Amino acid sequence: MTLPELIGWLTSTPINTLVMDYRWTWPISESLHFCGLALMVGTVGTFDLRLLGLVKGLSPAALHRSIRFGLAGFAISVITGSLFIFGQPDQYFYNDAFKVKVVCLTLLGINVCAFYGLEARRVLALAAGEDAPLRAKAIAAISLTLLVAIMCAGRMLTFFRP
Amino acid sequence: MWLERNDLSVFIREWSSIFGFPTILFLHTLGLAMVAGTSIAIDLWILQRGRATMPISIAGLNKTMWAGFAINTASGIALLLAYPAKALTNGVFYLKMGLVVLAVYIAARIHRDLLPTDGARVSAGVPPQARRWAYASLICWMAAIVTGRLLAYTYNVLFAS
Repeated sequence: MTLPELIGWLTSTPINTLVMDYRWTWPISESLHFCGLALMVGTVGTFDLRLLGLVKGLSPAALHRSIRFGLAGFAISVITGSLFIFGQPDQYFYNDAFKVKVVCLTLLGINVCAFYGLEARRVLALAAGEDAPLRAKAIAAISLTLLVAIMCAGRMLTFFRP
Repeated sequence: MWLERNDLSVFIREWSSIFGFPTILFLHTLGLAMVAGTSIAIDLWILQRGRATMPISIAGLNKTMWAGFAINTASGIALLLAYPAKALTNGVFYLKMGLVVLAVYIAARIHRDLLPTDGARVSAGVPPQARRWAYASLICWMAAIVTGRLLAYTYNVLFAS
């Protein structure tokens, strides 16, 4: 399937109708997209900040319990984000800001895998007040950078429309 | 009228660089993540019956929150200067402002009165009323985000003249 064919197919689905023909689908989805953002960046970002040395009075495990809400927020943002793509696919696939956003999201996924593969066990065993290992700090710093980059690219989408 | 015609407003609105209006919008989103995000993380920690074994050196998070608040006050004023009539004639704008004020008040209240910031509070644990405040905080932030986002879709006029 070529890109124009994919765009044609997305536009022909009933989801496209849902997004484009009802006045409130888009605004409500935008609102939820940002609520999801706040949940995800809030919980994951705070966990990252703890690994980097802030709020050391809490154990990383205590903050890690909230990550599931961040994951729920991420799911909300993926669903609402998909609705936008179904609604106006050509606005996204030919958009450089969208490409940057997708690359950053992919890198974030790899970084998450690196965290759970390499550091999670050591980090979640840390008590309050204990310092995270250097490699975990590096992963946390990368995570924060990517979260900011994703928000930036997302916000810039509107201005890079074809 | 003057508010939308002065040099600064025109500059924010019409400077076509990516570092103009788009960057202000990005900063407003970044600030949102910092102020609402950290506040939400603390709320969720309280709601999951978080217990601290030593005083939370919350100062770090507190700084993140207030830095986010400062970013959003500045970027918010810039956005307001660019399109004053658009916001000021929209009831949703005042609702959003009310919700933000309330949410910030609740966050400050949680920081000051309820979090285990010293030894005595650590041993006492997080008081039960903290849960109510945490719920209120979550609701206010979500409502503020929703109404803020809806501003782009609910305005009646773009300019006064």
